[in-house]
Amino acid sequence: MKRLILLILLFTYTGTTAQQVQVEISHVVGALPMQLKTTTYHNAAGDTFNITLFRYYLSNFLLTDATGKTVSADKAYFLVSEDSAASKQLLLQQFPAGKYTQLSFMIGVDSVLNFSGPQSGSLDPVYGMFWTWNSGYIMAKLEGYSPSSRLPNHMIQFHIGGYRAPHVTQRMVTLLLAKPLEISAGNTPKIRLQADAATWFNGDYKVSFRQIPGFMSPGMPADRIADNYQHMFTVQAIVN
Amino acid sequence: MSRKGIYLLVAFCLWLWIMGGSRAALTAHSPVVDYYELKIPDSLPPPVYDFKKNPLTKQGIALGRHLFYDPKLSLDSSISCGFCHQQFAAFGHFDHAISHGVLGRTGNRSVPTLFNLIWQKDFMWDGGVNHLDIQPLTPITDENEMGMDLKALIDRLQGNQTYKQLFKEAYGSEEVTTERMFKALSQFMATMISFESKYDSVMRREPGVTFTAEEQGGYRTFTQKCASCHKPPLFTDNTLRNNGLPYLPSMNDVGRMRITNNTADYLKFKVPSLRNVLVSSPYMHDGRFFDIFQVFDMYDHGQEKGNTIDPLVKNGIPLNEKEKRQLYMFLNTLTDRKFISNKAFSEILITD
Repeated sequence: MKRLILLILLFTYTGTTAQQVQVEISHVVGALPMQLKTTTYHNAAGDTFNITLFRYYLSNFLLTDATGKTVSADKAYFLVSEDSAASKQLLLQQFPAGKYTQLSFMIGVDSVLNFSGPQSGSLDPVYGMFWTWNSGYIMAKLEGYSPSSRLPNHMIQFHIGGYRAPHVTQRMVTLLLAKPLEISAGNTPKIRLQADAATWFNGDYKVSFRQIPGFMSPGMPADRIADNYQHMFTVQAIVN
Repeated sequence: MSRKGIYLLVAFCLWLWIMGGSRAALTAHSPVVDYYELKIPDSLPPPVYDFKKNPLTKQGIALGRHLFYDPKLSLDSSISCGFCHQQFAAFGHFDHAISHGVLGRTGNRSVPTLFNLIWQKDFMWDGGVNHLDIQPLTPITDENEMGMDLKALIDRLQGNQTYKQLFKEAYGSEEVTTERMFKALSQFMATMISFESKYDSVMRREPGVTFTAEEQGGYRTFTQKCASCHKPPLFTDNTLRNNGLPYLPSMNDVGRMRITNNTADYLKFKVPSLRNVLVSSPYMHDGRFFDIFQVFDMYDHGQEKGNTIDPLVKNGIPLNEKEKRQLYMFLNTLTDRKFISNKAFSEILITD
């Protein structure tokens, strides 16, 4: 059967070459580079805090060219985690050659995969990004400590998830590319992105750890924090 | 040789190559499994569970049964799934109001019965778990139940010789994964089907089986007063409702609201099936009633009528003594003796 599929693929081959795109992500908190445990940061509400865990899903990568034509990468789910250098290097597969001016992707995991039972690969529940008591993926997770928190040990815990209306936390991000990304045969261009974790608490919905030291279920605060972190990414560089 | 002859020859060679590849793929990569056909009475609605994504095999079911009865799935290898889900109690926990687990810890809800799960679209008393394949993740990782870390469990099973063999038989390789483990558990639980009670025999008009006068009276009362929520043939409509059970401050269980964060769902719990009800006491989400007559009395005069009480029971369900007795007799016909004694589901002793 595999051979049959291979043959069909060979016969339907149209000559469009499919290429890869490398995405490199770095994390900052406001003006400071993110360093787990050791660095102290401030939010807009005036709380000091540190971060011990920062992890989120990215999926549904799309590129758009100047004419508005959109192409999508092979379906893939990336679990990006500050504690893993490898997880911050994403290889997007199967983009056709061309010049693209816009990058889009989803922070989170498609709704349908939240109610389809256990998945494999990066979506395996072993990574602690799946709620056990209220099924569904945790789209993004930020944990740490803040003296303002009234939780045990002054911890802060934000597990952002929810896929059922009205509490839906997947967010699409669209970034304009200052210079076009050029994809051609034999060349793997690179996009450097930066994600700013300070946006989680400093956006339209201001989070004070004195009032909300954590949130770990679907609900309004999760929706608003997802609205906040929808703006955490910026494009740092395009390397063609 | 003519051009046509060459085309034919090339086509024939290609065909041989393709067919050869298919056969090689089957024997080299697929395990030798025996597919298992689930026998479901025709009168039932189609199952919610999608068997196309997890076809039943004898080897998969055997692996699932081994996992179900293996205490190694818990932190200190003391508690298996079957520890709380006892076959003679229709896979509920006989005589225990509240689930309990490793290190003497206690949960906060009653152990639900397990049967006819393939018609259920969500699980747990609050419907918080949305797929049969992911349901066991909750009791396995809950610190008050089996208290096990999922990654540690996968590693533990991977290191066990028996599981290497069982996973190979079911899936063609020894590799233990989350998805394989949960799908095997689902395969075993999918076979737990209960439609062999006296009620079923009467409905199927099997020769020589009839309700007694008392059972018939109870069936009439049931149809008039209970059947809109406990809807035959599953004896539940799989909805979540507030039945008027008084709130207990010491338990502080808000029910479905915990899942949806919506005050309209305050004190709503899943409507349980009434099949095998008389062998699976205690009753209610917190197991507060050990006797079915306490449940009758609650509907007759013991409800707490808060904002979210279900319209169908907000005026109570008046039941006189005769109706209660007859209802008891009818519920007794829902006990499926073949199911609770079926050797295919019985406990296996696992010591390695």
